[in-house]
Amino acid sequence: MSGVAMPAFAPIAPEIVLAAAACVVLVVEVYGRSTDLTYRLSQASLVLTALVLALNFPEDAIVAFSGTFIADPMAGVLKLATLVIGWFLFFYLHAHLRARSRARGEHFILGLFALLGMMVLVSAANLLTVYLGLELLSLSLYAMVALDRDSPVAAEAAMKYFVLGALASGMLLYGMSMVYGATGTLELAGIGAAAQDGTDLILVLGLVFVVTGIAFKLGAAPFHMWIPDVYEGAETPVTMFVGTAPKLAAFAMAVRLLADGLWGLHGEWQDMLVVLAVLSIGIGNVIAIAQANLKRMLAYSTIAHMGFLFLGIIPGTGEGFAAAMFYVIVYAVMALGAFGMIVVLSREGFEADRIDDFRGLNERSPWQAFLMLVLMLSMAGVPPFVGFWAKWSVLREVVAAGFVWLAVVAVVFSVVGLFYYLRIVKLMYFDEPDDEPPLSVASPLRLVISVNALSVLVVGLFPGALLGWCLAALTGG
Amino acid sequence: MFEQVVFYFFAAVLVVAGALVITVRNPVHAALCLVLAFFTSAAIWLLLEAEFLAIALVLVYVGAVMVLFLFVVMMLDVNLVPLREGFIRYLPIGIGIAVVVLVELVVVLGGDRFDLLPAPEPHPADYSNTRELGQVLYTVYVYPFEIASLILLVAIVAAIALTLRRREGRRGQRPEEQVRVRRADRVRLVRMPAVRREGLAEGGGGRAAAPGGETAPEAGE
Amino acid sequence: MSLRTLSLLIVLAPLAGAVVAGLFGRFVGRTGAHSVTIAGVAVSTVLSFFVFKTVVLDGAGGFDGPVYVWGEAGDLRLEIGFLIDELSATMMLVVSFVSLMIHVYTIGYMAHDPGYQRFFSYISLFTFSMLMLVMANNFLQLFFGWEAVGVVSYLLIGFWFKRESAIQANLKAFLVNRVGDLGFLLGIAAVLLVFGTLDYASVFEAAPGRSGATLNVVGTAEWSAMTVICLLLFVGAMGKSAQVPLHVWLPDSMEGPTPISALIHAATMVTAGIFMVARMSPLFELSEVALNVVMVIGALTAFFMGLLGIVQHDIKRVVAYSTLSQLGYMTVALGASAYAAAVFHLGTHAFFKALLFLGAGSVIIALHHEQDMRRMGGLWRHMPITWLCSAAGTLALIGFPGFSGFFSKDGIIEAVRHSELAGAWVAYPAVLLGVFITALYSFRMYFLVFHGEERVDPHAREHLRESPLVVTGPLVVLAFFSVVIGWPWVEPILFGDYFGGAIVVAPEHDVLARVGEGFAGAGAFATHGFAALPFWLAAAGAAVAWYLYIREPGLPARIAERFRGAYRLLVNKYGFDDFYGAFFAGGTRRVGGLLWRLGDVRVIDGWIVNGSARAVGRIASVIRHVQTGLLYHYAFAMILGLLALMTWLLYGGPAG
Repeated sequence: MSGVAMPAFAPIAPEIVLAAAACVVLVVEVYGRSTDLTYRLSQASLVLTALVLALNFPEDAIVAFSGTFIADPMAGVLKLATLVIGWFLFFYLHAHLRARSRARGEHFILGLFALLGMMVLVSAANLLTVYLGLELLSLSLYAMVALDRDSPVAAEAAMKYFVLGALASGMLLYGMSMVYGATGTLELAGIGAAAQDGTDLILVLGLVFVVTGIAFKLGAAPFHMWIPDVYEGAETPVTMFVGTAPKLAAFAMAVRLLADGLWGLHGEWQDMLVVLAVLSIGIGNVIAIAQANLKRMLAYSTIAHMGFLFLGIIPGTGEGFAAAMFYVIVYAVMALGAFGMIVVLSREGFEADRIDDFRGLNERSPWQAFLMLVLMLSMAGVPPFVGFWAKWSVLREVVAAGFVWLAVVAVVFSVVGLFYYLRIVKLMYFDEPDDEPPLSVASPLRLVISVNALSVLVVGLFPGALLGWCLAALTGG
Repeated sequence: MFEQVVFYFFAAVLVVAGALVITVRNPVHAALCLVLAFFTSAAIWLLLEAEFLAIALVLVYVGAVMVLFLFVVMMLDVNLVPLREGFIRYLPIGIGIAVVVLVELVVVLGGDRFDLLPAPEPHPADYSNTRELGQVLYTVYVYPFEIASLILLVAIVAAIALTLRRREGRRGQRPEEQVRVRRADRVRLVRMPAVRREGLAEGGGGRAAAPGGETAPEAGE
Repeated sequence: MSLRTLSLLIVLAPLAGAVVAGLFGRFVGRTGAHSVTIAGVAVSTVLSFFVFKTVVLDGAGGFDGPVYVWGEAGDLRLEIGFLIDELSATMMLVVSFVSLMIHVYTIGYMAHDPGYQRFFSYISLFTFSMLMLVMANNFLQLFFGWEAVGVVSYLLIGFWFKRESAIQANLKAFLVNRVGDLGFLLGIAAVLLVFGTLDYASVFEAAPGRSGATLNVVGTAEWSAMTVICLLLFVGAMGKSAQVPLHVWLPDSMEGPTPISALIHAATMVTAGIFMVARMSPLFELSEVALNVVMVIGALTAFFMGLLGIVQHDIKRVVAYSTLSQLGYMTVALGASAYAAAVFHLGTHAFFKALLFLGAGSVIIALHHEQDMRRMGGLWRHMPITWLCSAAGTLALIGFPGFSGFFSKDGIIEAVRHSELAGAWVAYPAVLLGVFITALYSFRMYFLVFHGEERVDPHAREHLRESPLVVTGPLVVLAFFSVVIGWPWVEPILFGDYFGGAIVVAPEHDVLARVGEGFAGAGAFATHGFAALPFWLAAAGAAVAWYLYIREPGLPARIAERFRGAYRLLVNKYGFDDFYGAFFAGGTRRVGGLLWRLGDVRVIDGWIVNGSARAVGRIASVIRHVQTGLLYHYAFAMILGLLALMTWLLYGGPAG
């Protein structure tokens, strides 16, 4: 044995637990008889992982495994949020699959690995881990989209997702290689130290590729084209899997790469993100208006939301990152609820993903209509829902950084965006349903969607805790 | 000097082979060109004293990946004509973009970036590339290594999940059942007492002979 | 329990009731819905009484502080907080008590309505909003309550959304209130601009020091900041308290669906504007211009809206116009700086107007939803309780000495007489004549409904009987209060130190003090009332009504024929509705039509919708031929994006 000491295992315990649990679930799925068991074990592993994480919650930044892994408060918060969202994702997934009596364990196993990939990405302190975490996440997601084998749309979506994702990964890798070439290290901290002045053109070139990769993963314009097709093509809960938790990981990737690694090029990436943000907010909000498919509409709304997320990253301050983190968590919860509502409304042979399927929902089920109303208003950024605070906090940071015009553009476009959210509300409350029977929702599903949607309201009324938590995680105070 | 000649030779072959991969019409030829490209890059790695990587490249890519790839290409018999329909149409704009990217890359990376560094001291003969690699792989980079292994696991799970289909009404052999089979499962002994049917003697009209039903063959044990 | 906890309970109890009845209505059933909402409001009422006792009767001091910090925006703190002082304690008691009565009454009135639970949810929510409004300790929460009340009122007016008139009425109420709210919002913005805070206490504390501040509103003209703020806030009050010219929504909302919703507006919601101005007295006192405007607007409302009451045939409309007129009185009092008198009248009016509404409702129930007074008459024999209670309400309304309305209304009239503001020259004659008119239309209604010959539809007559106990119960309670409530309170409220520091009156405006110089107890005040001018005016009004509708029932028609022009003017409500309909609504529709043709049809339909449809069609046709075409496009677009970023950053951007 050489002189390398045993690494500290405590900070990485949650990942180890989740990886081991995923393997156990895999074995159980192979030899077990019921998918129900796989589902329950998957949920239990998430809970267990979250417990281990909560017990080991990192108060300060701990770097372990020779500088490839970092556990800091930001990672802790994001991982915890990821796990909670993951629990909801599995729940919706199970409800959806069981309603179609083709529950398959692979969904949950791939889901567990995807969540593990997100956690790895969130805790990456090295370009290698960034890349590997991303691939673990992406590969699981590609496979999940493709799992719906009987649907040609899903196959096409998986194909597009895979090819474009590979292209983006290639770009990211290319950028990383240039960063490595310019700085001679893979460690983000080392890169940060070596790239302080940021005049090296190779670094700038690498940065362009890295930002492209990040923008693709988040789905910011003009690297957003995969989003509508994949969102529409994949099964609803899989769409949810693609559209919620991974955004948290992608946000962490952005912060790790841009703030920790390439801080020396703050000016450059700030300019790029401004362009991407404006394009995303504009394109997302305008094109969403013309959509007739709700999943597609939500896809374009995602693009717009990612533009808002960039607004928080642009200033490059701890407060800004905290605002962005708040935004991304809030967004994930809102998107979870919105897609969850599609799951609630759908049944065997009817996917409920057209906007017209929400026509007259109030008469079919006033409670579900109310929940959807809450979600849509929150997404639109109407107070007192939490979406308002999310928008508000990033806008405040971007104004504090001196980009008043950017905030004005963002606000103008979000007013445009109000239109398509309110259209859903109008359809639900003022239109007659198309001969649909009253909606009956199984009570566990109703409870979960209610918790999901009402959290948007409750956190909107009491935003201080989560906001303070994000702030403490990123500014250390 | 000799090293440089060798390097430029392999480098030239590598570039040509790479270009051929994306230009030749026949996919089998393209795959073979890729094999050539792998070989030549392995040779260049050998020049850099990265023996283990070179061997791994040949073994893994040439020996396994490309063979599989060729196999798939031949089996699928892809009709390439429709795939190439837009090729000429999009070629000019593709080339245009490629040239712009190239120019920009050259401007950034070009010229002075490639000053030759003095060659490092050659390692002694007993230096083990493999051992060095193994040492960092299982210590410093153990975490990425483990993640990579998980990625492979996901790939296996995904591949099986996507291709394994339990179709209804599928016919196939089950060797384990064939081996485990017992005589009793397959052969049923039927004991039939030799009874003469009365109706037969009367000739014809067997249907009417109701008692005949009682003397129907009995199943064996 | 501390006042803070009490306040929270008072606000949250109706909210909880509303939530339960609204969201779990099907689950808890009809009985469950009314039990839980009534329990919620009853808790509020009892606790409000307790708060009232602590703060007003015992003088134990109020509460002012935040309950929850909702968010921070720079230096601005957005809080939920309560300000409990004499003013808000009084309002809380009035609001919760009247709401409780309405809740009980609704059991009977809505008994057969399919939207029973929904209705209870709405009125509880209304109570919650109204309480939030009066208990606010900052402008933001005031605005929240203000808007919440508006929304619930929209829902209530349109409760029977299948009726065309209800839809029209609620739309009208909503739109007109938006006009007021715009002013209100601008006023709050001006407060924020001038004072930099939205907290009442800080604003009021800083106000005297800023009385000379100016604002640059239009062009370069410098306007007094206080005047601008007060006028803008008053625009809000005009909308909510239905003052001319923003009064048009109130009668329609009465005409519409339920008398209960009518009542909840008349007795509670419309008082929001009055309350708000009283609450803002430290600001209004600093601007004589604003006070004059307030007084004149109030006088116009009091007089002209009363006139309209004379020509109406719908029983609820008469009550509605009487409400408008009485609101005018309150506004006049505000303008005369007699805030205490305004709030006093608000309180007494809440009782006797609720009484009149419920009386009207009782009549309407008995006649199977007949609202036209021309098909009533002589009902006193059939509905003695309703008849007597209505008599009490009518006497209170016209200010018969001794009844509650007398004390408050006479207080207002006296206050205006003593006011030295220029507006009093208009206001005093208006309120005096208003007394005559009030008596005229009140007794006209009373005689038409309860006396004279029976013009009831024979079919309805067979079922004619007194209303059930849930209807008459509140009537009797309200009648009792309408009669006696003035006696104990006139002295402390009008002339004593009832409101303490809650209402600020500048010494030079303190008309009530001047009125109070000659005050010698409630009894003497009432006795003196018999000798004063208003009483004789009221008596004259009653006598005229008796002559016209009992003695010579044919005469009114002849008068209407003789003075056709004036009559038509009144029937058309001075043409406000027509003007608004033609000018604002019509004009807006024309502008909207123009925008629709230009914007919607050409740009959105033509380019975005149809254009994208065409684009989708084209892409679809491409997909059909080359399945992977789209993927190439995507990848290509990504590369183009990358290239653009790269080029820009390397050569055009800051690094280049």
